[in-house]
Amino acid sequence: MTVKGLERFKQDRDALQFAVQGFEQSQSPERQLTVALVKAILDNYNRIIASAEEGKPFIANSYANAPELLAALNLPWYTLSQIPYLPTSEPYILDEIDEAERAGLGTDMCTLIRLGINNVEAGRVPLPTAFIGLLSLCDGTNMLHQAIAHNKDWHNIPVFCTDAPYLESERSIDFHADELRRMVSFLEEHTGRTLDVDRLREVIEESNKQYELWAEYNELRRAVPCPHSAAKGSQAWSVAQNYMVGDRRGTEWFRQLVDITEQRVSEGKGSIPNEKIRLFWFDIRAIWFPEVTEWLKAEWGVCIVMDMTGYAPYTLIDPSSEESMFKGLAKRNLCDVPMVRQVRGTADTLINDLMMVVKDYKIDCVVWPAHMGHKDGAASVGIMREVCRDLGVPFLQIGLDLFDKRYTSMDEIKDRISKFFTAMGLG
Amino acid sequence: MTLFDAYIKKLADYQQELRAKGRQVREIYCPTEVSELTEGLPVRVGSQDSGGIILRGDTFLELGNPEAGSCAFLMWTDKPPLIQDGKITLIGPDIPESPGASLPFGQVLMVGGAGLGEGEHALLEGNQFIADQIEGYMIKSVSQLMWSRVSRDAAGKGFNFETLGRALMAIFKSAVPKIEAMEVIFVTSSKEDLQPLENIDEQVREISHNITREIWQAKGYDIECTLSWDCRSCEYKPVCDEIREVVRVRKKKSKKTKTAADS
Repeated sequence: MTVKGLERFKQDRDALQFAVQGFEQSQSPERQLTVALVKAILDNYNRIIASAEEGKPFIANSYANAPELLAALNLPWYTLSQIPYLPTSEPYILDEIDEAERAGLGTDMCTLIRLGINNVEAGRVPLPTAFIGLLSLCDGTNMLHQAIAHNKDWHNIPVFCTDAPYLESERSIDFHADELRRMVSFLEEHTGRTLDVDRLREVIEESNKQYELWAEYNELRRAVPCPHSAAKGSQAWSVAQNYMVGDRRGTEWFRQLVDITEQRVSEGKGSIPNEKIRLFWFDIRAIWFPEVTEWLKAEWGVCIVMDMTGYAPYTLIDPSSEESMFKGLAKRNLCDVPMVRQVRGTADTLINDLMMVVKDYKIDCVVWPAHMGHKDGAASVGIMREVCRDLGVPFLQIGLDLFDKRYTSMDEIKDRISKFFTAMGLG
Repeated sequence: MTLFDAYIKKLADYQQELRAKGRQVREIYCPTEVSELTEGLPVRVGSQDSGGIILRGDTFLELGNPEAGSCAFLMWTDKPPLIQDGKITLIGPDIPESPGASLPFGQVLMVGGAGLGEGEHALLEGNQFIADQIEGYMIKSVSQLMWSRVSRDAAGKGFNFETLGRALMAIFKSAVPKIEAMEVIFVTSSKEDLQPLENIDEQVREISHNITREIWQAKGYDIECTLSWDCRSCEYKPVCDEIREVVRVRKKKSKKTKTAADS
């Protein structure tokens, strides 16, 4: 059966399969964890392809939609904003950005959002049973669902977006918990699935174990030298929030991660041989990270000890009742997920996170990359700079695109960083 | 009078209630000078004295795991006599009595100094998270929770809540010389006993948030603003000012209406 949008998905699946075979040659325990994650991504692709071909329900979402609920409903899903991060997407990114521009998508809009809309427009993603989103975080995500609803193939796809209140008060959490309940009703109506509260409890209990182990792992990242590069933190996020949500395989993944890392910390092994600068990258990771991080490592002895994606402030949810679970999910979805946490509401979370990470992780400098799409966070640069000044830690704002390396060239980024390190006496 | 003074009184009531319930309450009176506070402590206290990460296998006990319960906050006053300088109150079991345990953890720090004001608020708040300053004691890097570990080595040397309380007093008094008096309360008895403390914490947090907002406003930033750039350069400032004025007038009006209705 030919299903629109599946062709690229199948290509990606085959490429992932090939990647797994390649990775499996390595005996390194860290690499084995990467293999386990890629296998989980592959499983997800297979589930979506099978669902599309067999006419079974599956979901597309934008970002931060309490994935525990989807796992409990046994609904496969793909996340539009996650696709560009997959290794299979990387070779096409620049062409797809150009394609989005030719299609008329404004270049002042976050590139990640543009890529998401363009993937829909270009028919590179399969038509889901329903689409869910979150009305928050940035101007782009607020419009994403409206943009894709105009696509001729997607205009019949039911859409539901939860509203995200500004504050973190009890009232706000209750409000968002109700929004999540409405989202569940919407999903039940359009997919024919029913939420089993006991199954939700199982998923949440398993996810709690994952977040507790992730927090343990992050304690280990405080060690000097830092045991891993920032990439492992991003993988942790992919496991807990995307590909092994409330899944025992994910818990085992984290258990192994902690064991491996404890061993490294006990032996004093760092991710780089001679760690000189401990950097806090105060944003999500860039697609082109490997190119810059390798240079940072070799040229300046820099380890990115923490970034937004790797930070794990996740709420452990009380699974005792349906109400406590929905409230806990609301809190996790609103107050913990990267970017939504830092820029959705008042700036005190951003201030506290900066203070805590700098102090606990013995950070030598903070880099706010100033991604062109993060206008919400960009508005708080003055606050970030003041906080860093009070903490006595150098702060750099660059101005770049986390997805398009032509926006600010790699050479220019390296030059800015080098001058900063030199001027601050960090080199 | 500072905004926290009323809650210092509430804390006294809270302790009294727990005594009445028959909880084990221990009071320890420590010296008050920084040099005396650290004298004879079984562990080192000072920047980078923690000795690094405490691994799970090296842990003697955990305090404040979310499942066990955790609540921590700080209050300050410009009336030092409200604080009993050098006093540590422990409600519940002490560290050496609980090997391998995961205890609920309440920690309240109260500091007083005639010169203390909103200018010291951020410094005092930040100091609660002492990072690497106490050997054998690690506060986990989890926001809004005081979740910590005591190492086997430290416990073996005699680390207990008196050690922790004295170390905290020394750290605070060194960092903020305006502190004239400091008192500490630790609660480890049960999660249930932390509930009233959490209610006080909620109100204290709100006061703290308001103070923080005022401090940033004085610097020219509104941390509650969606745009949150410098108000001085924001084109919407007149709109915000007008909304604030409307809110102020409404509050005043509803207060008047309520007073009239009550009388």
